[in-house]
Amino acid sequence: MRRALGPIRCDAAGFEALSSLAQSVEGLVFDKLVLDMSGVSWFDADMSAPFGALLHRTQKEFNEVELAGFPNAVEVILCRNGFLSQYGGQKLPDSFGTTVPYLHLALGDGRYFAEYVDQRLMQNPSIPRMSDGLRKKFLESVFELFSNAQVHSKSVAGVFSCGQHFPKKRRLVFTVSDLGVGIRENVERFTDRAFTDVEAIVWATHERNTTRTGPVPGGLGLKLLKEFVGLNGGRLQIVSGTGYWGLSGRSEEVKTLPAPLPGVTVSIDINTADEASYKLSTEIDAGDVF
Amino acid sequence: MNRRLNVSILEVVGSPFCVASDDGQRVFERLQAALTQQASVTVSFRNVSNLTSAFLNSAIGQLYGIFSADEIRSRLRVTEIEPDDRALLKRVVQTARAYFQDPERFKRAAKDALA
Repeated sequence: MRRALGPIRCDAAGFEALSSLAQSVEGLVFDKLVLDMSGVSWFDADMSAPFGALLHRTQKEFNEVELAGFPNAVEVILCRNGFLSQYGGQKLPDSFGTTVPYLHLALGDGRYFAEYVDQRLMQNPSIPRMSDGLRKKFLESVFELFSNAQVHSKSVAGVFSCGQHFPKKRRLVFTVSDLGVGIRENVERFTDRAFTDVEAIVWATHERNTTRTGPVPGGLGLKLLKEFVGLNGGRLQIVSGTGYWGLSGRSEEVKTLPAPLPGVTVSIDINTADEASYKLSTEIDAGDVF
Repeated sequence: MNRRLNVSILEVVGSPFCVASDDGQRVFERLQAALTQQASVTVSFRNVSNLTSAFLNSAIGQLYGIFSADEIRSRLRVTEIEPDDRALLKRVVQTARAYFQDPERFKRAAKDALA
């Protein structure tokens, strides 16, 4: 099977393109997928996460995957972040220090993920000097992304992650994808009601909504991400099935994709020039926590 | 006998990155055992660099399903915790208290909102 891809940006159109690819390889078994990348004039490096997840799923069905015809600039980006080394490409040094390497981890590797992010993101001198408060908030947001996948996805294939720093735009993007059950299945099981994929994502982002049952409470993760992005003026995107949900600053957008993207992808994009302190205006007394 | 126990999050987890819910579970088991033995517990967050709500829900939020809020308030303290982490913990505690006061609450509220 041969398919061609166009530009892949970390936006609704980019997720739409990947979901169309997912649909076209559905049911492909013991075959070969050749992706013609000659039309990929741009590829947002953090989209390696959902793209890698999709290709992993394709390979798990005993298909061979070949990526061919890359424009040079795109190939260099995907060699620098380590993505193409999984598909026969070479690993190039990241001389600009703007990549956060592509990573595929098991769900139980939360500690390793945290150390990897800290080392590649926070200890990287090329990542811009952010305020201490912003740096901590961003790091914890990334950890919340992984935790969400751990808690909810039931993803046997694990978690796929990648990031990219855009120094001129003063943006830092991090994307996490899983191949789990997706948001709608969890929400429907919990509420015992039928949802569309979009409705399920909207439900999941509302305060205190959680599909957690049993002895461990939950429901704060996505809310914390929303709050942070709202204050920072950044962007948060969630894709699951045919549902796309985006938050830019405080403005929400939803869209139904023409085809489902498996699992869940969450992408956080922050403004690194944000000088807000993220300190509370009034401190909570230690005796007032419980 | 009113014993006082000190629990170091860093010592239990073994890492300054306290982000995974299964690491939180290990903290919970230590705290549950101590509180069950009627001990008062001081939980130190010294040298913890990062926390997530998932970790705190496992480690501390879960206690509200076993012990009353009054018991926890009277016998559990936190120390050496950054102000913003303290704020996050307070939110986790508030969410957990509401959850265990009525575990069906969120389920019911969600259904009502959709009606």
